[in-house]
Amino acid sequence: MEEKLVNALAEALEMDASIIKPEETFRDYENYSSLTELSMLAMLDSEFGIELEMKDYNKLKTVADLIALVSSR
Amino acid sequence: MGLLSFNNVGISGLTAAVPRHVINNYEYDLYFSREEIKDVVDKIGVKERRFADENTCSSDLCFAAAEKLINDMNIDRQEIDLLIFISQTPDYRMPATSVLLQERLQLPTSTITFDINLGCSAFLYGLTVAYSMLTAGGIRKALVLDGETRSKVYSLKDRKTGFLFGDGGVAALVERDDQFGTSWFSLNSDGSRESLIKIPAGGYRRMSSCETVAEKVVDEYGNIRSEEQGYMNGADVFNFVIREVPRDFNRLIEFAGVERDSIDYFVFHQANSYINGFLAKKLKLPEEKTPATIHKYGNTSSVSIPLTIVSELKEKLQGKKRILMSGFGVGLTWGTAMIGLHDCYIGEVVEV
Repeated sequence: MEEKLVNALAEALEMDASIIKPEETFRDYENYSSLTELSMLAMLDSEFGIELEMKDYNKLKTVADLIALVSSR
Repeated sequence: MGLLSFNNVGISGLTAAVPRHVINNYEYDLYFSREEIKDVVDKIGVKERRFADENTCSSDLCFAAAEKLINDMNIDRQEIDLLIFISQTPDYRMPATSVLLQERLQLPTSTITFDINLGCSAFLYGLTVAYSMLTAGGIRKALVLDGETRSKVYSLKDRKTGFLFGDGGVAALVERDDQFGTSWFSLNSDGSRESLIKIPAGGYRRMSSCETVAEKVVDEYGNIRSEEQGYMNGADVFNFVIREVPRDFNRLIEFAGVERDSIDYFVFHQANSYINGFLAKKLKLPEEKTPATIHKYGNTSSVSIPLTIVSELKEKLQGKKRILMSGFGVGLTWGTAMIGLHDCYIGEVVEV
């Protein structure tokens, strides 16, 4: 699940999966913007079936948080 | 439940008007570099849109569409007993624009007129009101006019909204006829999300003042707007729409009890091509049944569903057709409708 999430995250943010580390804050990635945020939300919905309220999405900070989220479903 | 159904009432004719002034978005570099613009425009898919000039209102676009409808269909103006004007860009705060249109269209003073103030879902709301009043009896023909000049609402210096919106107006003739069969509507609202798309000032809660019209830098990206210009939280809206719109879509189809395959076209509010593409994929809709105008007219709010029907389905609506419509946006409000059409008259898009 971790690999799937990292690859999907890389695709959403149009970046190389190999440089993504679990402890990193995903909003700090250079390509994170209001436009790629839509791709993040779309990715969680279509790849993992996760529908979130924004207030819950905004609590997620690190790549590890995303991995924990998709692993819990 | 917000679920409605009607028998033997429907749209017999539909026309549309857009301003003649075309904005080429990729080259619209008044406030941002072409490189920045390309990122935005590639994502939202609005290659062109139409801007009304300072003398042209939503009502003028609707007037042009209505004149074409009345003349092309040879409608007796004396038989129009109801005129509904849908817009969030009316001519004045008062009187209601629908009343002005009664006079301009030379309709009798016995015509019932009123405005509906709703956004992207409003065409569906307007139709249910017209269908209800026609069903009640005593009304021969109804005009549903739906117009927006969104270009006048949003700051061109705010990249979150400055490249998205365009202007347009439509006119629909609604009447009773056994040929229409049954139509179904689901309408919804969630006021807890009122701040996601909003013009915070200029109404009576926060009245117009020097302060409310002053442009300000509003975020860390340097976007600029005043409190009397529209704001949109795109991510929150997107997140809401991709969850609730498919839910309502399925709820309506279940309520109607019809086979999905029997639906000829799925016409969605043209929000932006990213949302629309996502919804089409999530709902597994065939591309040839999902017409789009976001690339050439942009997001025209409540006008986008009927404008897309006029622009893209003009040659495809002969005989009996079943159309599903889905509208969602400011409020937030959202809805889904399934209507029957029978040899519906569609005029060419008029340029004003």
